Amino acid sequence: MEVTDQELKIDLQKQGVLMTSLNELYNWGRKNSVWPLQFGLACCAIEMIAASMARYDLARFGAEVFRPSPRQADLMIVAGTVTKKMAPQVVRLYNQMAEPKYVIAMGACAISGGPFKQGYNVLKGIDRYLPVDVHIPGCPPRPEALLHAFMTLQNKIASQPLTGPARPRHLRAGAPSEFSVPQCGPHGLVPPSNPAVWRPPTAAQAG
Amino acid sequence: METLEEICFRIKTALPAARVEIIPNASPCGQRSLLLGREQGLAVATFLRDDPQLRLDYCSNVTGVDWLEPSLPQGFVQSPSSAGLKKEAGEGLGESGTGCLEAVYHLFSMAHKNGPVVLRLRTENRLAAVRLPSLTPVWRSCEFQEREIFDLFGIVFDGHPDLRRLLMWEGFQGFPMRRDYLVADDFECEPTPHGDVPKRMSPRQGCAEVIQKTATADPRV
Amino acid sequence: MRASDEAFFNFETGVNTYLPVLVLFLCAAGFALAPLGLAWLWAKRFSPTKPGPDKNATYECGLQSKWDARIQFKSGYYIYAILFLIFDVETVFMLPFAVVFHRLSVGGCLAMLFFLFLFLEGLLWAWKKGVLTWK
Repeated sequence: MEVTDQELKIDLQKQGVLMTSLNELYNWGRKNSVWPLQFGLACCAIEMIAASMARYDLARFGAEVFRPSPRQADLMIVAGTVTKKMAPQVVRLYNQMAEPKYVIAMGACAISGGPFKQGYNVLKGIDRYLPVDVHIPGCPPRPEALLHAFMTLQNKIASQPLTGPARPRHLRAGAPSEFSVPQCGPHGLVPPSNPAVWRPPTAAQAG
Repeated sequence: METLEEICFRIKTALPAARVEIIPNASPCGQRSLLLGREQGLAVATFLRDDPQLRLDYCSNVTGVDWLEPSLPQGFVQSPSSAGLKKEAGEGLGESGTGCLEAVYHLFSMAHKNGPVVLRLRTENRLAAVRLPSLTPVWRSCEFQEREIFDLFGIVFDGHPDLRRLLMWEGFQGFPMRRDYLVADDFECEPTPHGDVPKRMSPRQGCAEVIQKTATADPRV
Repeated sequence: MRASDEAFFNFETGVNTYLPVLVLFLCAAGFALAPLGLAWLWAKRFSPTKPGPDKNATYECGLQSKWDARIQFKSGYYIYAILFLIFDVETVFMLPFAVVFHRLSVGGCLAMLFFLFLFLEGLLWAWKKGVLTWK
């Protein structure tokens, strides 16, 4: 059924007739106007800036409008090392963004703490507090990697259904829109991770 | 540029009460430094800045060092009463023999276009008596760097205009750059050559435990 | 029946000539309101609203606001601002003066200098009063 519909659509498109569904139209509009939040935390931000400039031209994907206010942004690119002192602010910024909102964790520090993983003042991955949609490894990732992450995110947005149980978080009434902001405790962040978002991996027992 | 011996002599001539000592450096760079006494540290610093032949008017860098219990050279018996011990043990021995915290100042002269002269100030020990005179009144550029040393090493600078934590947040406990700092063990298991993370992981459930990090055997490594 | 009324109302056809304006206004209002209504209906049907304490916060830079934004400014600030404004506006008068400067008579030039003198006097008065010293 679905397959024939797709084939029919392609056939019609060859004849110059465009067909679409409300869901596709909605996602097409959303994926081509993802506005990132304008903030950088460390050196990865330089690569993010390079990606938005003329050579790599993030504008091709409709994402050239970096918004200085979280109210107007759809995408948070966590570009760089998240220190424990900065983490509450990052989570609060995410909370202040309007739904639907997406997160790209850019670079080794943002996805896992990177070279500072065993340090005393670096959060070991922003996915401990925020639902990350796309992770980009690299130290720092090249602008092409960010573009690839962006296209991956666009594919994700395009595949999200408008109705049904598999619909994304922002279309479900019970799903949370804000995530708990960690506090700066005497030794580190309290709690060390948000169990609703992230669980520590279980250690493999040797031998 | 005068040699360190000449500078040392001039300080002692101008301020007879000052305690100044030349710390040798056995490394290839051979950059020696001046160890000042705490009590006259501020007076000596003012002299170094204002003396017309020195004019060390620019402090480029302030660093903290944590000297744990030093590993003594062979053949010496560690006893604080031994007068020769302090001299022979060289770097990093506090007065009571329990190690010390140290602030290192790198001075240059913009007027004479030379430098550096390295100053050291040592606390009495590294546990309770961790006070040093602040040199911020002499060199304004010390302000943030002394704050950072206070933040990370816990040296209390007397006379500092705004001694607060700089990199860590208010309410943080401990001084992370000290060698015996208990690091918050909030990272998950991964195959790493850096230590015994898998071993620590197996018995525990939570993620926020604080486990003592083993201090390195030789503090001067 | 006065002549002016005939301009608005065509007595032969009985049509008010303001009617097209009304239609245009309704169209314009429709174009403005329809997207809002559609968005409202879309939200009703598909995406539920999710307000929260962080999302509703006034300040939007990630930091928590500590106290009210409505604070008292020092009244000295306003005197300072008014002084600046007067000299700022003065340049507006200076520009036409400068443009026609070559064709100006001596009287016109003197009048402008007098005008400037008045400002200078005011500045000296404020200076003497200590307004310019920020306390």
